[in-house]
Amino acid sequence: MISTQLLISGVIFGLSIGSIYFLLAIGLSLCFGLMRIISLDQLLYYSLGAYFTYSVNLLTGNMWVGVLAGMIVSALASLAVERLVFRRIYARDPTFSMITSFGILIGGIGIIKFFWGVVPRPVEVPTLLQVDILGTEVPVYRLMVIAIAVCVYIGIWLFLHRTIVGKAIRAAIEDVEHVEGLGINVSRLFTLTFVIAGALSGLAGGLHAPLIMVDPTMGLETLAFVFMVVIIGGLGSIKGTLISALLVGQVVSLGSIIYAPMAQMAPFVIMLLVLLIKPTGLYGSPVFKR
Amino acid sequence: MLKIFKWWWGIALAFGLLGIARMFLPLPFMNEVVIFSIYALACNFLIGRVGYISFGQPAYLALGGYATAFYLVHFGTNPYVGILIGVFGGLLASLIIGPLFVRLRSDYFAMVNLALAVIVFYLMQKVLVSITQGDNGLWFLTRIDSTPILDLTRPGHFFIFALIVGLAVWAFYKYLDDSIFGACCLATKLNENKLQFLGYNNFSIRLLAFVIANTTTALAGALYAVYLGFVSPEMASPSRAADPVIVTLLGGVGTLFGPIVGAIAYTGMKDVIAKLIGNWELFIGFLLVFIMLVADRGIWGTLSPALEKLISRKKNSARGERDD
Repeated sequence: MISTQLLISGVIFGLSIGSIYFLLAIGLSLCFGLMRIISLDQLLYYSLGAYFTYSVNLLTGNMWVGVLAGMIVSALASLAVERLVFRRIYARDPTFSMITSFGILIGGIGIIKFFWGVVPRPVEVPTLLQVDILGTEVPVYRLMVIAIAVCVYIGIWLFLHRTIVGKAIRAAIEDVEHVEGLGINVSRLFTLTFVIAGALSGLAGGLHAPLIMVDPTMGLETLAFVFMVVIIGGLGSIKGTLISALLVGQVVSLGSIIYAPMAQMAPFVIMLLVLLIKPTGLYGSPVFKR
Repeated sequence: MLKIFKWWWGIALAFGLLGIARMFLPLPFMNEVVIFSIYALACNFLIGRVGYISFGQPAYLALGGYATAFYLVHFGTNPYVGILIGVFGGLLASLIIGPLFVRLRSDYFAMVNLALAVIVFYLMQKVLVSITQGDNGLWFLTRIDSTPILDLTRPGHFFIFALIVGLAVWAFYKYLDDSIFGACCLATKLNENKLQFLGYNNFSIRLLAFVIANTTTALAGALYAVYLGFVSPEMASPSRAADPVIVTLLGGVGTLFGPIVGAIAYTGMKDVIAKLIGNWELFIGFLLVFIMLVADRGIWGTLSPALEKLISRKKNSARGERDD
């Protein structure tokens, strides 16, 4: 049997990984729900967030300033990409946007390699404190990551349900043309959503940076897991994304306690099983609107 | 009869040109081009005919390559049998994966396939290290037998073999395009409800197309394995996931010459860019965005109407002279 200590630290580890996946997947999911695009370039903003966290951390010595800088840079980058590229392809097929955004992702990796080189960079953890939970020492930083993700979820929920812009976004997810008919500037909603998604991806990158090494292809490595989260949860569903992010996080973390190499395979098996039963994921909408 | 003659002429011209190009261009480049065009033909079929954009092609490529490698490392030494084993491995894998994947909507299909490529990469790199040697890869160049007529260990002979295989694959896809099955594939892309109404089964058409395309991809993987004499997880690397898609788009989606033109252009650019700039990703990423935004008909898609115009004008003028 697994000892309680191992189990608790495993669960916390899984929650923190799940939080990062959630922050990334929510951007992908929102973009798909609203604009019907598969925005792989979120993974680029994730890498950008991580790299700016690394650089600003070196300059100022404070990681949180770095995370903030990473978020801002990611938001600006996503704004530029949305204006220059995505604006032209909203009307096309979702797979079309997937190819284009893959191009942006690969090109962005090229830019990162140009500025930072290919050597993996370590980012130091801001706090080395440990907290005692039921007799297990747990790093505070991981708890902070979880807390931030919870705050983001609550913030997104409040934004979508309590503000007029959020309500317009939810309405546009249901039916874009009606919202447009009501006189709401849909194109501005699209930009806003895309920038929010980009900033959250940057946040995820910044938070993930101290837990792993920062290297140019980190986006591609995380890509598969974020995909699995989005697919298991169903494209376009925020609730589904949360549930499947937690699930995948736990599977990765607890799976690695049992048998390490299987940890990376297990989410894939779960994804296949979910798709076998429900081809659109747990909470995905069965039909295409538009 | 005339139609058959016409497309045979087309093939002969394309592959004759490849054969002639062999005299001017370095051999490794030509080998790469031929294998790559087989790889891209499958992807082209999936995108242009069935409407499935697959980012998971490297997974099937690696499966074919590793199947060949396992045979050549552990069991036998005959490269031809190795290639057959690779093709069979690809067939088996796509028969297992296919029924699950082709039920999905095209956007889910693209994502799941990319996830598959990453998983196969992990599988080869980390999980099955004891069998695949991880990042070191499997080396078996010295174990390949020299076969009597076409000696696959010699690049010159390999080129001829690859050219013959490429010709066969190309002819096969040309045949598919003209057959009822090809029409059905196009119909599942354009309007699946209507096709169902006509009494065809969308699922089985897609499954068959998926299996055919991915078996071809596995064949390309097997050819790579025999040609290079080693396989490594790099084959399934997610950063190369877009390669066949880029080649297809570059050449022109849905055209039969597109993949060949694309493969030549892509391999050529890769060599030049890698020498001049060295930052390949930067270039290819922006190239892809550029193709998608501005030139989504590709090289061949842009060239062929102009060529057709040229040929038809010549014919017309010839006829005009006769009439006078």
